[in-house]
Amino acid sequence: MLQQLLEPTPLPPSIKANRIPSGSDTYNEVLDFLYDEAEMLDNLRLGEWAELLTKDLEYNAPLRHTRSTSQFDQTYSRNVQHLHENYGSMLMRVKRITDTKSAWGEDPPSRIKRLVTNVRVYRIDDSDDLKVESYLLLTRSRFDFDYFDLIPCVRHDILRREDGALKLARREILLDQVVIGTPNLGVIL
Amino acid sequence: MDRTSNPKLSDGTLLSDLINLETREVKMRALSDPELFELEMERIFAKTWVFLGHETEIPNKGDFVVRDMGSDSVLMARGADGEVYVSLNVCPHRGMKISTHDVGNTMTHVCIYHGWAFKPNGDFIGAPVEKECMHGKMMTKQELGLKKARVAIYGGLVFATWNIEGPSFEDFLGDAKWYFDTLWCRTDKGMEVLGPPQRFTIRANWKTACEQSASDGFHVLTLHRWLSEVGPYRKPGSEGGGGDLTPEMYGTEVYTAHAHTMRCIELDRKIRRLTGKDPSELSIKEKLEALPPPGITPEMLPEVLRRFSDDQLRVMAWRPPQVGNFFPNGLFEFVYIPSPDGVIGVMALHAYVPKGPDKLEFVNWILAEKDTPPDLKAKMLRLGVQLLGTSGMVEQDDSDTWPHQTLAAKGAVSKHITMKYQSMYENNRLEGWPGPGDVGDGFTKDDTQWRWWEYWYELMTAEN
Ligand code: FES
Ligand SMILES: [Fe+2]
Repeated sequence: MLQQLLEPTPLPPSIKANRIPSGSDTYNEVLDFLYDEAEMLDNLRLGEWAELLTKDLEYNAPLRHTRSTSQFDQTYSRNVQHLHENYGSMLMRVKRITDTKSAWGEDPPSRIKRLVTNVRVYRIDDSDDLKVESYLLLTRSRFDFDYFDLIPCVRHDILRREDGALKLARREILLDQVVIGTPNLGVIL
Repeated sequence: MDRTSNPKLSDGTLLSDLINLETREVKMRALSDPELFELEMERIFAKTWVFLGHETEIPNKGDFVVRDMGSDSVLMARGADGEVYVSLNVCPHRGMKISTHDVGNTMTHVCIYHGWAFKPNGDFIGAPVEKECMHGKMMTKQELGLKKARVAIYGGLVFATWNIEGPSFEDFLGDAKWYFDTLWCRTDKGMEVLGPPQRFTIRANWKTACEQSASDGFHVLTLHRWLSEVGPYRKPGSEGGGGDLTPEMYGTEVYTAHAHTMRCIELDRKIRRLTGKDPSELSIKEKLEALPPPGITPEMLPEVLRRFSDDQLRVMAWRPPQVGNFFPNGLFEFVYIPSPDGVIGVMALHAYVPKGPDKLEFVNWILAEKDTPPDLKAKMLRLGVQLLGTSGMVEQDDSDTWPHQTLAAKGAVSKHITMKYQSMYENNRLEGWPGPGDVGDGFTKDDTQWRWWEYWYELMTAEN
């Protein structure tokens, strides 16, 4: 019961037969969406980014554990997560940065590159939505520190066409690190 | 370093040179000196009780999690007898780490290096090829177990210490127990974690987080100002909109001999807003019904009312402990967050684990009462994740501040400037305040944080 309330709606599977080939029009459209999204976020156009979100958004980042090879599928924890957001809470995160003068965790902002690769697009049975898997390497440079915080992850997205344009309806961020190596996830992944 | 009762650093500086007990100042150098760090691990983390987790993380026999006690990795496991054991996660054979997993269940922990095996309670089972007696004959099996810590369970929280003959856990809590009972021991079934803890690394000394955790009220006004700009503390339009966090700074602050401290923030304004009535005209029960403690519903209240003295209930309904610490490295939050769904309680616990002089691991657990209805648990969890911990909109700002203090502790000049704790309560105890400990009334002050440093100094200068 609690588990159902806490956990995100399970994502539809990525079915091989439903794969949309690289280079097709739909694939290219998805790729442009991801590239444009990364550009908006890297350049702090957060208000614009928020317009890409559907009202029923689910946006989550599970915890990860180190376990044995045979338990590889049990390394994610989806009750307590690093991020557990809906549309309203994502807008609050955006507003905190755009509408206040005291979002100190990102003010001055980090210099960030969102490197998006390994993009795979799938049709979803009985739905017009698209399932998109991508790798993201986020590099974060803060203050005059001579190192980068690196946040490598896989993203499982659901994109939906609304009024002709693609929008982000779901995102699950699967982080590599058990102990996140940056002082906060105050950046959008 | 000269490890006397007034330790001398290798450049001749005495520990007593770094702290001024009269003017309540601490030199920045004390924050992140590598020699002091070594001493802190020995004199604080190997001596006091250290918070490791919650027993509901390991409900079944054989369940274990790997945790840290200061700079040492430990196994926290439930044994065959159902009890919780804490043992050094290091093999007594040649020092390999016993469990390289974060969590799991096993009745036999086998070291992958040469195969020595141990029970969840740390007892040595044996080495491979029993008849060849691979562990030799010089030591008995009893002597070859994992090094065991002494464990105390309090309200489901698991604490451990290497100080086997040292003071009891009750002694360690001291006057804080009267208040802590109202947080951790509110229901018959007790609390539970809502999942494993979040973990992340901050390049800052553990004390930057921990001296703040000892009830720094002032930082909320500036560092967390967004709370009133767009966040949950923005006043409703009917009250003029905009925001001012100063009302949240009033209440009672408690500081105890062993540097457990708390801010008991007044609920009167919230209760007035919820009921439209003057709180002084409401009974304790009416106040608790209007605004029950985090994780408690009006239906659960009879049980809470039965478990506490009138004095404790009075504090719970009026000025409950909302944020505070347990020394050395634990922080708790039992906060009442205004939300579109009404006031939602959030309960969280942090451990700031030292990882060397310039690094800490932030570990964040989110909790509820076992009896909290599932839909309320779900709301508490979401709000907890959104405000606290890894991505928390409040605690992002804290975690970005501590690295700068740590860097300043290294500057040839800045390491000599001092952190100041000179805002003091003048007439301490509010007439009729029912709880024990040292108590300050009114607007937040520095006394709680100063107590933290005083106790740090007491332990660091204690004769072994
Ligand atoms: S180090 Fe563990 S068995 Fe040798
Ligand atoms: Fe804070």
